[in-house]
Amino acid sequence: MKGYMGKVLTIDLTTGTIADESIPDSVYENVLSGMGLGAYYLYKHIPEEADPLGPDNILGLMSGLLTDSGSLMTGRWMAVCKSPITGGWGDANCGGTFAPAIKRCGYDAIFFKGISEKPVYLYVDDEGAELKDASHVWGKDTVEAEEILQEECKKKKKPKVAVIGQGGENLSLIAGISNDGGRMAARSGVGAVMGSKRLKAVVLGGAKKIEIQDPDGMKAYSKEFADKVKNAGFPKFFKGFLLPFIGMLMPMAKKGAPVDGMMAVSMNKTYGTVVNNTIGLPNGDSPVKNWGGSVADFRMKQYKKLNPDYILARETKKYHCYSCVIGCGGICDISNVRDGRYKHTHKPEYESVCSFGPLLLINDLDAIFYITEMMNRAGMDTIAAGSAAAFAIECFENGIITEEDTGGIKLKWGDAEAVIELLNKMVNREGIGDILADGIKVASEKIGKNSEQYAVHAGGQAPGMHDPKMDPLLGIHFSADPAPGKHTIGSGMYYNMMYLWDEVSWAPVITKYPKTEEHIPSDNEALKSVALAAYKMLTDGAGGCFFAEIAGLPHWNLFTMLNFATGWGLSGDEYMEIGKRIQTIRQMFNVKHGIKPKDCIMGARVTGNPPLGAGNLKGITLPIEEMVKFHWKNFGWNEETGFPEDKVTGELKLNELLS
Amino acid sequence: MKVKVIAPAFCSFKHIDENGYMILPEGATLNDVYKKLRVPLLFRKILFSSVNYERVKLRTKLKDGDVVSFLSVITGG
Repeated sequence: MKGYMGKVLTIDLTTGTIADESIPDSVYENVLSGMGLGAYYLYKHIPEEADPLGPDNILGLMSGLLTDSGSLMTGRWMAVCKSPITGGWGDANCGGTFAPAIKRCGYDAIFFKGISEKPVYLYVDDEGAELKDASHVWGKDTVEAEEILQEECKKKKKPKVAVIGQGGENLSLIAGISNDGGRMAARSGVGAVMGSKRLKAVVLGGAKKIEIQDPDGMKAYSKEFADKVKNAGFPKFFKGFLLPFIGMLMPMAKKGAPVDGMMAVSMNKTYGTVVNNTIGLPNGDSPVKNWGGSVADFRMKQYKKLNPDYILARETKKYHCYSCVIGCGGICDISNVRDGRYKHTHKPEYESVCSFGPLLLINDLDAIFYITEMMNRAGMDTIAAGSAAAFAIECFENGIITEEDTGGIKLKWGDAEAVIELLNKMVNREGIGDILADGIKVASEKIGKNSEQYAVHAGGQAPGMHDPKMDPLLGIHFSADPAPGKHTIGSGMYYNMMYLWDEVSWAPVITKYPKTEEHIPSDNEALKSVALAAYKMLTDGAGGCFFAEIAGLPHWNLFTMLNFATGWGLSGDEYMEIGKRIQTIRQMFNVKHGIKPKDCIMGARVTGNPPLGAGNLKGITLPIEEMVKFHWKNFGWNEETGFPEDKVTGELKLNELLS
Repeated sequence: MKVKVIAPAFCSFKHIDENGYMILPEGATLNDVYKKLRVPLLFRKILFSSVNYERVKLRTKLKDGDVVSFLSVITGG
């Protein structure tokens, strides 16, 4: 009764063997569940020479330690594996309803190895687990397959389903795993790994209860958070057309200061992530024209068409992930969009809008709605797909690929029709789409002709749609996280909201400071990035939501909630050691699998080499290599190589844990 | 009395100590906080703030331990 179930389900798809495996308490005490348990298990069990799409790779579907514990904002699940896109540690994080379903079947995680001879799906309920034939849903998109399997396996309630689409089936290296009608665990190529195992879906119908040490304490704490969120309303006079003006004002603030994260929750509550659609252009956060342009290439008369009010106008109901009281999601009616093929879709995330909008100079919001639903159904990563399209357009513009290569598509910036045609080819792996479906790094290697200059990635993974020249700590995480390119680890702005210094003795205290400090490599900035990374590992070990995390410790305090669940009574400093341990295992996984962390440092274009010629980030170049060195050093990793030093692996007791 | 004030960076922090507290006389109002932060008059009615995470009027009297926060814009997604 500490919030975790104490066992995992293991499936060998080659032999069809299904078994329970107990996990000792000491593992949870060292790495929590979720990301930590996944890192621990995969480090131990995947051999270093394993082909990411071969039988030795392991795919883990993870719940979090706090999931279904009575805590709020802890319904995230994770897919973990050796990534086929980076060759190193891979993970993808997702909301929806699948995380509690794993625990209600009695497990903290489900691990798959081997390769099935024919397409199968796993069904689990309170009576046991069984592999079933999936040939009737192989070839179906994620939404169709989920509906069929829910009906087929329905008992008292509809079961929860994680499923791949054509992207995963076709081993597209940018494929993800979907649940709840198109919410995607999109990154790291986790869907390709699932497809390589011929595992179409996992269907969970358990009803077990999760017990914790102090349910009354957790209940009271959750109520306090829920009450604050209830009051966190966005001013009614505010309309979306005003957002660009906020974006214009933001760069005028030359100082940084602590921010009350609860007050920022109101934006997510009202708009969701699309609030950034039109703030991010004038302030420079949103990448434009394959990261080579600026707001000068995509001016207000174009980007105002992405006003989030136009997205809310299609929202027919709010969508909350499991245990969420913010509700940044929504279901949108798109039945009159284009050919009417899709009736509704999850409200697009900002990342998708930017990937298929400013990054490609597209301002057709209907096309963006259509594309995101198309990619959700194919089960493909919108960030990676938009980035691949941007890469292809720039290659076409510069004569590296021609109409002959594209099968007659004339690629040009801002042409939504051409992009839809190109993405269709990617989904079906036809012609040029076959090359682009494996992401920009692989595509540039296959195309050659100096095309790598247009391939914007970190260690193979396309970065999230936020320019680190605006917030340099973001660039450190793009480059230094063991799953590079991820935008949800941390940033300077997030640090100022999180108040980690309240309970972590070594986290730098923030008062008012000049923002120029963020651009200068230093131990102080590195300690912030280390604190962000370590705390994010705790969030991912607990199954927590990033938007709750950035509300900050005064409101959503993982240390408090973990103590309610486990009764461990640990301090912030002690929990942060766990966070550092998880992050270091992920880095050790990369080292074990031959990844050179230096090779994951973001490419020149993203860090301003050459600098942008216009926009708010004009003339800025980030000293990213120096920044990453400081980050590694402050993690106790070698500042030149990024390899964890013996001293830190000893202090974190990793040799005993991983032996 | 001591009130926690989490103010935007463009405000004056002269009256906020290193732990984020502002000392105010008994009976002080939200408007007094705005004055000490040197928020221009024009902005006082449109700058979105809360006391203990509830929207209140500028004339609302504060009490010891209150938390005054301001709407902040974030980027991310």
